[in-house]
Amino acid sequence: MVASSGTIVAPVSSPRNPGSQSSLREANRARIVDAITHHGALTQVELAAVTGLSPATVSNIVKEQAAAGVLATTPTSRSGRRAVRVTLAREMGLVVGLHVSNRQLRVALADAGHQVLVERMLPLARDHRADSELDRVVLLIQDMAESVGTGLDEVLAVGVGLAAPIDPGTGLIATRGLMRGWDGVPVADELETRLRRPVFVDNEANLGALGEYRMGAAQGVRQAAYLRVSHGVGAGLIIDGRVYRGGSGKAGEIGHLTLDEQGQVCRCGNRGCLETLVGAAALAAKFPGSHTQVKLRDIVLRANAGDAAARRVIADAGRHLGVALAGLSNLVDPHRIVVGGELAEADEMLLSPLRHALERSTLATASGVPDVVKGELGERAEVLGAVLYAIDLAHITAGRPSDAARTTGPYPMGIAGPRISGIVPDLAPENAPDRGGLAS
Amino acid sequence: MTVLNQDQVRSAPTGELVLSMRGIDKNFGAVQALTAIDLDIYSGEVVALVGDNGAGKSTLIKILAGVHPKDGGTITYGDRPVSINNPAESNELGIATVYQDLALCDNLDVVANLFLGHELGRATIDEVEMEKRSWDLLRQLSARIPSVRIPVASLSGGQRQTVAIARSLIGDPRIVILDEPTAALGVAQTAEVLNLIERLRERGLAVVLISHNMADVQAVADRIVVLRLGRNNGEFTVAEVTYEDIIAAITGATDNAVTRRAQARVDAAGDAAVAAGASPDAAPPEEDRP
Repeated sequence: MVASSGTIVAPVSSPRNPGSQSSLREANRARIVDAITHHGALTQVELAAVTGLSPATVSNIVKEQAAAGVLATTPTSRSGRRAVRVTLAREMGLVVGLHVSNRQLRVALADAGHQVLVERMLPLARDHRADSELDRVVLLIQDMAESVGTGLDEVLAVGVGLAAPIDPGTGLIATRGLMRGWDGVPVADELETRLRRPVFVDNEANLGALGEYRMGAAQGVRQAAYLRVSHGVGAGLIIDGRVYRGGSGKAGEIGHLTLDEQGQVCRCGNRGCLETLVGAAALAAKFPGSHTQVKLRDIVLRANAGDAAARRVIADAGRHLGVALAGLSNLVDPHRIVVGGELAEADEMLLSPLRHALERSTLATASGVPDVVKGELGERAEVLGAVLYAIDLAHITAGRPSDAARTTGPYPMGIAGPRISGIVPDLAPENAPDRGGLAS
Repeated sequence: MTVLNQDQVRSAPTGELVLSMRGIDKNFGAVQALTAIDLDIYSGEVVALVGDNGAGKSTLIKILAGVHPKDGGTITYGDRPVSINNPAESNELGIATVYQDLALCDNLDVVANLFLGHELGRATIDEVEMEKRSWDLLRQLSARIPSVRIPVASLSGGQRQTVAIARSLIGDPRIVILDEPTAALGVAQTAEVLNLIERLRERGLAVVLISHNMADVQAVADRIVVLRLGRNNGEFTVAEVTYEDIIAAITGATDNAVTRRAQARVDAAGDAAVAAGASPDAAPPEEDRP
């Protein structure tokens, strides 16, 4: 499940010898690490209660994993008694990844070894405003840092993903109207004054692409595109192994590709954009009979439950996306297209019509059409991308050789070490902390 | 009594009218607390009840919870009229209320609190089964509770709120009423509770949320019902309302909602002249909307 730096721990049930003592021990080990990932920090007594293991087993495994460098223990007290507080072992230096999308906010606190220590999700109001949300984010980050027993001073950098194109020159939102409450707000400066830490801002789809490229479905694919289908639609482009942002930051804004010259007026001000066909508002409008405003998640849940109308709406969305992606594919020619965002949870219901439309409209080459896959990181792709972005830029700006050597680890940036690939199964959506249980 | 399983989550009907209140009046002596209040509650929907202090929000939910009997008006549950005279009757209708003070027993552990009054087992209490179900329930709600065997007193505000909400689900309700669930909570705990409300909605439950925090309300609610001085002062769909509109309706800074309601009545009566006067105002925004 979770790999320590260097060694890969075998998955929960070892296929060779299920039910053996060693596989049982591995399963217990995974349970303990899972519990700590979910709760942040726990005492050994609490760990025993959460996992249902005996205190002796917990104590043994914690001792063993602490020696292996997976867990760290610190003495503490709990209701007046001495106790041992168990956290994930982390490399020096923390980074924060922040993803602010149209209807939700996600914050991840990770160590410099890409290991997420705590993660929080917060639903947001429609047209949320920068000032109040940034204040909340600061409180949230402080709270999260405290929950792993540290403070803001250990944070090396903060990576922020916003649901609008960001001008690389100014750091401002390049197109007005896409995130109304955040237009003209120098997000990096505002957060820097609040946190006193370096802050780097980018477009969410670019960060999603970075996340999937480094630790998800696009690993090792140097020409790739990431399509984010959520409230809005956007794409991030990986060209020659680097995120391509374009001249003014709007590269990959596939959601505002014109599909119908006479179509509806889009929130960007043009007509007939892809988003007027497959954005959350457009999809919700396809269910006029329903009393409640239909959310994207509702459509996916209904489709999974077998609702024919919801399935059809998703399939139609897939077809529109396929046509738009055919254009993108002709222009930048990616080898793989990774689909993420909330609607990607519909999986093949979305992807097969998408592939079909893509194959029909794109220019055929000898090597065929790009393969289209669902993202591996689920809704966390952007926030993990923000973490990676912050780590990358922190190295450049911090510039202390000792720090850099320690935080980069044995693997140069851009190449997935065993630690990153090892942790990927943990990041699968069904295990994600905030989306467990009911999500599937 | 059973903890909901995944199948029930899928099959739960949404968007169906569960309960409807019409013309509810309530007075306490000379104080007219509620006057002709209408409220509809749908499954799979979060309806927020907002208003200034003394607007009548708490009185209204106390009528639903069976704390106060109504003085006038009708309550329809499904398709039959019902009267809710005491909390037990409210419970039988599948209405669960989580009050602001949570009403948890601080000295009991999480399991004991969840099953208080509904303990499992015949001759002896089946602690093992209760603990198992507690974990099942908390896991389904993605709750961050470190242990179910610690006294509730040692939990954080958000965790206590989670326990209180989880307890309300033990009886398999159709409507969950949350009174100020995020008041007095920090940002992280608020996030936890808001996520929890989204989980409840996804399970097909009808959620009535009372809150003063407009950011929270707009984040999770589908519909906002504004009360002002004991009367309905506007009903909004979250997708179509701005923060300013809601505040205006709460404070009475505009009489928009009231005149709109009066307008609707006039329209319904078929006054063509007024209808023609109102339509040019209403038309342009609809055209602009994608």
